[in-house]
Amino acid sequence: MNRSPIRWWKHYWTYLLLVILCMAFLFPIIYALVTSLQPTGFGLAQNLFRDGVYWGHYEQLLSTPRYVRNLLNSAITSLGGALLTTTFCALAGYAFARLRFQGRRGVLILLLGLMMLPGIVNLIPLYRLTSELLRLVPTGAAIIGDLNARQVANLLLLIAVYSAFGIPFGVWVMKSFYAAIPRELEDAALVDGATPLQALRHVLLPLSLPGLMAVFLTNFVFNWNDFVTASLLIRSDELKTATVGLLDFQNQLTGNNSELLNAAAIMMMLPGIGLFLLARKAFFQGFIEGAFKG
Amino acid sequence: MKPQSRLHRSLPYVLILPALLCVGTFILYPTLFSFRLSLYENRRATFVYVGLENFQRLFGNTLFWAGLGRTAIYGVLYVSLVIVFAYLLALVFRGRMKGASFFLTVIFIPWMLSDIVAGILWRWLFLPRVGLLQNMLGPLLGDYSFLAEGTGALSVVLAAALWRGTAFALLLLLAGLQTIPGELTEAASIDGADRWQQFWNVTWPLMLPTTQVTLVFLSIQAINAVGLFLSITDGGPGRTTEVVSLQLYKQALQFNNFGFASAVSVVMFFINAGLALIYLNTLRTQNALD
Repeated sequence: MNRSPIRWWKHYWTYLLLVILCMAFLFPIIYALVTSLQPTGFGLAQNLFRDGVYWGHYEQLLSTPRYVRNLLNSAITSLGGALLTTTFCALAGYAFARLRFQGRRGVLILLLGLMMLPGIVNLIPLYRLTSELLRLVPTGAAIIGDLNARQVANLLLLIAVYSAFGIPFGVWVMKSFYAAIPRELEDAALVDGATPLQALRHVLLPLSLPGLMAVFLTNFVFNWNDFVTASLLIRSDELKTATVGLLDFQNQLTGNNSELLNAAAIMMMLPGIGLFLLARKAFFQGFIEGAFKG
Repeated sequence: MKPQSRLHRSLPYVLILPALLCVGTFILYPTLFSFRLSLYENRRATFVYVGLENFQRLFGNTLFWAGLGRTAIYGVLYVSLVIVFAYLLALVFRGRMKGASFFLTVIFIPWMLSDIVAGILWRWLFLPRVGLLQNMLGPLLGDYSFLAEGTGALSVVLAAALWRGTAFALLLLLAGLQTIPGELTEAASIDGADRWQQFWNVTWPLMLPTTQVTLVFLSIQAINAVGLFLSITDGGPGRTTEVVSLQLYKQALQFNNFGFASAVSVVMFFINAGLALIYLNTLRTQNALD
């Protein structure tokens, strides 16, 4: 009965629809990729199979210091923010999952509420806060590379803000990962005379590696993709992140240089797509745990 | 009961301190500060207390109401399109067919892109004269130029948003469907319920909390969307796609109109907080808050 022809026929249609759907989903990306591999000004006249692939736009981008710098800024701030978030959440998540203390539930629910509060709501105070904090830092001579103290402070501030934005979600993810680990494992260590921190480090953390990965990767990609916060907090051209630079590029675009813009867009999506393909499970788990708790 | 040392008792607070400090400084404090800021106006370099004047001006401002109206239209369309589409897909994927994870992966890729990048790809498809889809669909609609018309521009943003947002909703719904025991639908099917009856009488009621959470997430995404609008339409043509979140962004960044923009963010805070309360309440009824 299971193998009735009607059922097979139905499956056939489902697969066909899904294949078409997937092609539609990939289409904008593939079209951008094809565009980016053509010399400027040919429009669709160029045939990749006949005339070969043109890498010129990518070469041009990689030899444009400003673009490389944008990517580097994105990498530094996304990585820094995600590392801080993961560290803070690994610690706090443990307290929420295993220790009893006053105000525990209240803080947890507050964090959950804040998770629902998007960055745009506190955009203006954050903008002002940045201005005021940065005014305290002298500009002066370059201290790291060609960046002066104020510019370094500006980058650090963006990292701190990214780490804060990831925390409400990350704490809940880590809490539910810890909570899923049997208490006996930890109790055995505690009985052997380990302190709670040692138990966290040697027993819980290794077991919740998938959770740490989920928090780190989702936050890295969120930070990498962020536009609003970076466009608001970054105060000098040298510090612009890739999304901010990309929108600038589109807005300044004159004539038909869409091929170059598409190449820039393609390069920007590589880390996100790459990490996702390598660690799909971590992303799925992160999103689900973050939304429903454990 | 072993006696607890002082260190032991303060340990939880030490552990949560870095996280709370960060959240307090960069989320909580700015949020509260925006309430205060909304009562001031920046004249030249100083801030002058003006009481509720910003709100009076805001509520008397037709541009603001128009923006709120556009947000409502965009929000309703976005949320309903995504939820229907994601539900259909979730029910297909629920069957655990072969290759499901491959299809799911592909559908998820757009969610990994920045909305600025997504916007640039979709704008390129609909660019006047040279956009591929513009040239394919435009002539069919009587030389319609998508980005030159308010409705057209909004539909391009919606298409991009649907493309990007479906995956997340789909994942949440799939996670919800997994918690429904298969025996329940099987039992219903033995009792002679057809597919539709199974869905309507068994799956749907059990999925209500998940659906509610998904709807809240989608609404929050819709209300606060800035990136796609900035990169596809920049509010244009004219002001036809200038949603309230975009107004907020522009008022603050391009016009340095902080008091006024703060008043907008206070209004948006209450809309978001209302949605957050619905979310918390749903989780509470599900006992998900311990």
